[in-house]
Amino acid sequence: MNVKFVIILFIFVLQACSTGSTKPPKPPENLLSLSEAQMKIRSYQTRVFDISDEEKSLHAVVSALMDLGFIVERVNVPMGIVTAAKFAGKGYVAFVEATVVVRPKGETQMEIRANALFNTKPIEDPKVYQNFFATLQKSLFSI
Amino acid sequence: MKSLIPVLLALLLASCVRMPKPESFFQLDASSAKYKALQSRIVEASKEQELLSASAAVLQDLGFQIEESVADAGMIRAVKERSAREYGQEIKRFFVFVLGVFARTVTLVPVDLHQQIAATLVMYPEGNSTSRFNVRIVFHRTLWMGDGTSGNQSIPPGLQTMEMIYDPEIYRQFFARLSKSVFLEIHQI
Repeated sequence: MNVKFVIILFIFVLQACSTGSTKPPKPPENLLSLSEAQMKIRSYQTRVFDISDEEKSLHAVVSALMDLGFIVERVNVPMGIVTAAKFAGKGYVAFVEATVVVRPKGETQMEIRANALFNTKPIEDPKVYQNFFATLQKSLFSI
Repeated sequence: MKSLIPVLLALLLASCVRMPKPESFFQLDASSAKYKALQSRIVEASKEQELLSASAAVLQDLGFQIEESVADAGMIRAVKERSAREYGQEIKRFFVFVLGVFARTVTLVPVDLHQQIAATLVMYPEGNSTSRFNVRIVFHRTLWMGDGTSGNQSIPPGLQTMEMIYDPEIYRQFFARLSKSVFLEIHQI
C-alpha cells in the first residue's frame, strides 16, 4: 500500500473526529456588557469643553487634526463625526486612524470623544488622548 | 543562495525600522506651525459656497477629479492619477543591472510606476467673520512600484509608499489660482 495514501486516509479520519464531536464554543456572558476597563477607556477618550457652537467645535477638531498632520477623510456635520488618518514615523511605517465625535452636552457645552487606532490596533494609552485634547484646546481657542 | 542575500538583507533592514511612539501621534511638533502656514491662507469671499465651488474649479483646472465634497463642513477631497516614472530611478536601475551582470546576479530594482496625488481642502470662517475664510489644503501622494528581480527571486509589484507633499511651490500655485478664481467669481467677468 502506498504510504501517501495512508497519510491522506489518516488526515480524513482525524478531520471526521474533529467535526463530529466538538460543539461551537459558548460566547462569554460578559461579551456585550461594559467592563470596568472599557469605562475607563471611555472616560479618558472623552472630554467636555465650554463651547456652545457645534459647527465651530467641528471646525476646531478638523483644524487640530490637520495641525497634527492627519488627512481628513470624512466629515459628517449633522452627526458631528470626523474621520482622519495619517502615516507617521520615519518612512511612514505607522498608520494611525482617528475618529472624533462631537455632540452637545446641555446648552453651553460640547462632549468630544476621540478614539484612535495604531496599525489597526486600538490605542489605549491615556497620554495619547491627553495630547490630542491639549492640541484641540489650542485649536478651539484660536478658531 | 547568492541571490537570496540581498532579499534577506532588505528584510533585515526593514525589521530595523523604528516604530514611533503612539504619544507622538497627537503632539504638535516644531514643524506643525510651519506646515500650517504653508498650507493655509485667509481668503475673502462673499459666500462660503462660492469659495468652495471656486476651489473645486481650481482643483479641476489642476487636473484633479473631485471625489467627495461636504458643503456643510466646507470640505473637498480630490485625486489625480499620474505616471511616477523618473529618469533618476531608471538610470539607477540600469547601473544596478550592469553591476549585477558583473556579479553574475541579474538584479532589476523595482521602480515607481504609478502615483495618485490627493488633495484635501477644508475651509471655515475666520473668527466670526462672514466674508473671511481660512482655507487649508493638504497634498499627499501614494506611489505604486513595479516588479523587479534579484537573480532567481522575483520582487512582486504593487509595493506602496505614501508621502506628504511639502513643496511650497505647489501650494503657492494653488492659492495663486484660487485668488484669481475668487476674483473672477465675485466680479463675474
